[in-house]
Amino acid sequence: MLENRIRELLGRARDEARKAGMNVELSFHREQSSLIRLGNSSVALATHEALTRLDVSVQDGRKVGSFSLTADIVSADQLREAVHHAAENCRAALPKDYDPIFGTVEEAVDDSAGYDPALEALSAEAKTDLCADIIKKLKPRGRYDFSGSWSTGSTEMYYTTTANDSECYRRLTDGRFVMVLKEQDKKWELQVELSQKAAADIRAAEVIAAFDDLRPVYEQNEGFATTIGRQRVLFGPQAIAQLVGLAIWGGFIGRSWEEKRSWTAQNKFGDRILSEAVTIVDDPANPDVFSMPFDFMGKRRRRFAVVERGVFKGLLYDSASAARYGKKPTGHDLASGDFGLAPGDGPAGLEAGRKLAGDALYVPHLHYIHLPDPTKGMFTGSSRFNAMRVKNGEFVAPIFSTRVTDTSPSVFNNVVAMSSKTVTHNESATYGRRTPDAMSVPEWLLCDNIRITDVADSF
Amino acid sequence: MTIEQVATAVRGHFDRMRTAGCGFADARLYDEDASQRVVLYDGNLESNNRGLERGIGVRVLYEGAWGFAATADLDTIGACFDRALTNARAAARLPGFPKEMGPARPAKGEYRAPVVKDPFEVPLAEKLAFLTGIDERLKDDSVKQRIVHARFQRRRIHYWNTEGTDVSRFVNNTFATMMVMAPDKDGRTQRRSVELYSDGSGTRGWEWLTNPDWFSGHAERIKRELFEVVAAEPLPPGRRDLIILPGQGFLQVHETIGHPLELDRILGYELSFAGGSHVRPEMIGTLRYGSDKLNCRAGVTPNSPGTFGFDDEGTPQRDYYLIKQGILVNVLSSRTDLAEANAKAGSEVVSESGTAARACAFYRTPIDRMTNINIEPGEDGTLNDIVAATENGIIVDVPVSWSIGSNREHFHFGTEIAWEVKDGRRTRVFKNPTYQAHTLDFWRSLDKVGDKSTWLLQSVPNCGKGEPNQIMELGHGIPVMRFKDVQCGEAEAATKE
Ligand SMILES: [Zn+2]
Repeated sequence: MLENRIRELLGRARDEARKAGMNVELSFHREQSSLIRLGNSSVALATHEALTRLDVSVQDGRKVGSFSLTADIVSADQLREAVHHAAENCRAALPKDYDPIFGTVEEAVDDSAGYDPALEALSAEAKTDLCADIIKKLKPRGRYDFSGSWSTGSTEMYYTTTANDSECYRRLTDGRFVMVLKEQDKKWELQVELSQKAAADIRAAEVIAAFDDLRPVYEQNEGFATTIGRQRVLFGPQAIAQLVGLAIWGGFIGRSWEEKRSWTAQNKFGDRILSEAVTIVDDPANPDVFSMPFDFMGKRRRRFAVVERGVFKGLLYDSASAARYGKKPTGHDLASGDFGLAPGDGPAGLEAGRKLAGDALYVPHLHYIHLPDPTKGMFTGSSRFNAMRVKNGEFVAPIFSTRVTDTSPSVFNNVVAMSSKTVTHNESATYGRRTPDAMSVPEWLLCDNIRITDVADSF
Repeated sequence: MTIEQVATAVRGHFDRMRTAGCGFADARLYDEDASQRVVLYDGNLESNNRGLERGIGVRVLYEGAWGFAATADLDTIGACFDRALTNARAAARLPGFPKEMGPARPAKGEYRAPVVKDPFEVPLAEKLAFLTGIDERLKDDSVKQRIVHARFQRRRIHYWNTEGTDVSRFVNNTFATMMVMAPDKDGRTQRRSVELYSDGSGTRGWEWLTNPDWFSGHAERIKRELFEVVAAEPLPPGRRDLIILPGQGFLQVHETIGHPLELDRILGYELSFAGGSHVRPEMIGTLRYGSDKLNCRAGVTPNSPGTFGFDDEGTPQRDYYLIKQGILVNVLSSRTDLAEANAKAGSEVVSESGTAARACAFYRTPIDRMTNINIEPGEDGTLNDIVAATENGIIVDVPVSWSIGSNREHFHFGTEIAWEVKDGRRTRVFKNPTYQAHTLDFWRSLDKVGDKSTWLLQSVPNCGKGEPNQIMELGHGIPVMRFKDVQCGEAEAATKE
């Protein structure tokens, strides 16, 4: 549970607000973050941030106001002032044309299962030495340059409201390791990225082996420019996570569906909308993800399917959209979920995937993603790292930057096969507050009829 | 703690860092970093938040390597310096080209952004009355969604370094957007929007937002244009002359001039995240980036979020050419990487800091950022003059989607609206316009640049870069520009599927 000093301050602020007849939600966030940044095969920067944040929301009938403070939380007066600012905002607010829902902890949570003190304490020195080891071993094997980043840290999140005395608390550690190897003459880039829950999760040998698996095809073959048109594509984890994210964002957000802006707008629950192989769920019990047990309205988060075996099952409603459209909130008042694309019945291993693919493009990464038309689920994205041509089941050449312009329903209605093994794809960004975020995806996804709309003559 | 107490503590730790072997150290205290965000969505107040951040970030340079640490707890500044030093020592275990600050240039002074009425002194009720007034004007049975959004920043930042620099900044910024959306007959959601802009002069307070010329006066126009887009046919693909209004030109400049000219990208320090650059250090001074008509400056525009007085290394902000008559003459830099750029170029290509070291918060370290990346007005007259001189073209405005190669060498943009130009006249509106090109070919095809009457300052509130990630605000002053013979619409739309 949260350190007593702060917990008592927050509890006192909640009790005072309740006594004053106010409806107040309090959430507290504390992070210890550290990051090393690699560039030109050196550590260009090493950082450490110790930050605490308090969010206060006050509700009065149909009016809501909030206040956020990033500062050291030391006194009851500071909390009173924060509540006062949020209340002032609430007082001057415009009433909504619906009854907003007030946050209530429906079940107390005290979860430190994902906390590894050794990962929280992993030093910049240890991280630098591991990267130096990888670079020292790989650099002599070619004209290579290395860049990347490695962020590790711990996060505490706490939530309570004047509705009752219950509290939600979680503490966890996480890390994301990314290394890019660039060939300095031919300009191709390979990337290895790993997700971390514990200090021992990243090993130099594993990273070196992953690069060594990729290097020969890139070293021994010229870049391949594919043709524009519909093609068979074997997607890898990062690209699959992007595709799933796009499908969710464009199709399963309750508000967009209500406003007829989602590609599912013409569908109702029970409709078959995607290939039978496709099941997309938000499941905190999935061991691949970071498992957020509650949301910031106090809802206990449990398995929630949006598509099950291709059938439309659910829409994600945060409390504001739920209130506005007369639906129940689904536990999605938070920055990220615990989503996953359920595994298929294809063989495990990338080798098995490419044998099955026969002739295809292997696109493990999609970058520069945009959604020009959510109503159709239309997106664009380009291949970047580790992309290769598959011929007769073998990787035969690296491919030049290739742009895909397609729609989520088309991609997920053209599924040929998926690996039966899932992997974690770490999606954590370091914008704003530390928010560990990962998706569980099959290690490969094979689709037909993917629309290739642009092919460059460079990587 | 008062500012003076913090300054005294910081100076004491500077001495300690020097004794420990650091060649340079600095500290940024955010005494106040206040924000306010108000969002009206279909008239409902969806976000009504105020924020306050307070804390300190310190940076130390040890054996050519950077260490950074930040804390919100001002009682632990000493421990914060210690962590920064530990980080720098760790970084020095895997050294690259040694980072160095070059000659010391101690600065003292204060910058205050021009503001008549501080938006934080305007009561929320008054703000809401103003924004609701705009929302009312956007209402129409045919408009399906309306968004009116305003965001305010106020920062009091104090900076000190081991060279004796002691500067303060008091910065206000105001951002606002309005947008209307409606489905077309194909069911695709079309939109039309406008962001608060200016002619670069004036002040940055409440008076800017409430001047109808720069924001509210456009409500009826975007509504009318949305209906035209909804009723329009899609842009037929083909090669045409492309006339870009400042509402789109700012992003064209941002993505294909601003980002590739950031020195850290050029040197490869952003490779794994934001990407690299097609520019190499030895090209500075010789590369033909665009036609003779292209003149681009890192400007000090009075009324812009890209103007801040002193950068986050305490260097007074400079105004200089990046591209002069089409030739690349400078890049966006801080003090740290100049020696490396010159060494890699084999000659001196950059001589002093581009004063582009910027951090987005006390808990982020400065990196090379855009400031005001402005295209100078030209001598090809007004928008009407340029249209009159165009046989077969389109005019485009406001980005919807974009996709850009990792080195910024080629790009693809989609915009909210296009107007066809035939034989010197605007004819009809097209929906779903897109265009694509290679960066250098494109800028070399620039053949008309509008005069001062076409030049507008657009704000960018959300440029993302760096790890840890940083969101930065900046400005782009842009005239109307015409490019010859550009691929418009999807080239493959004409091919079979
Ligand atoms: Zn940007």
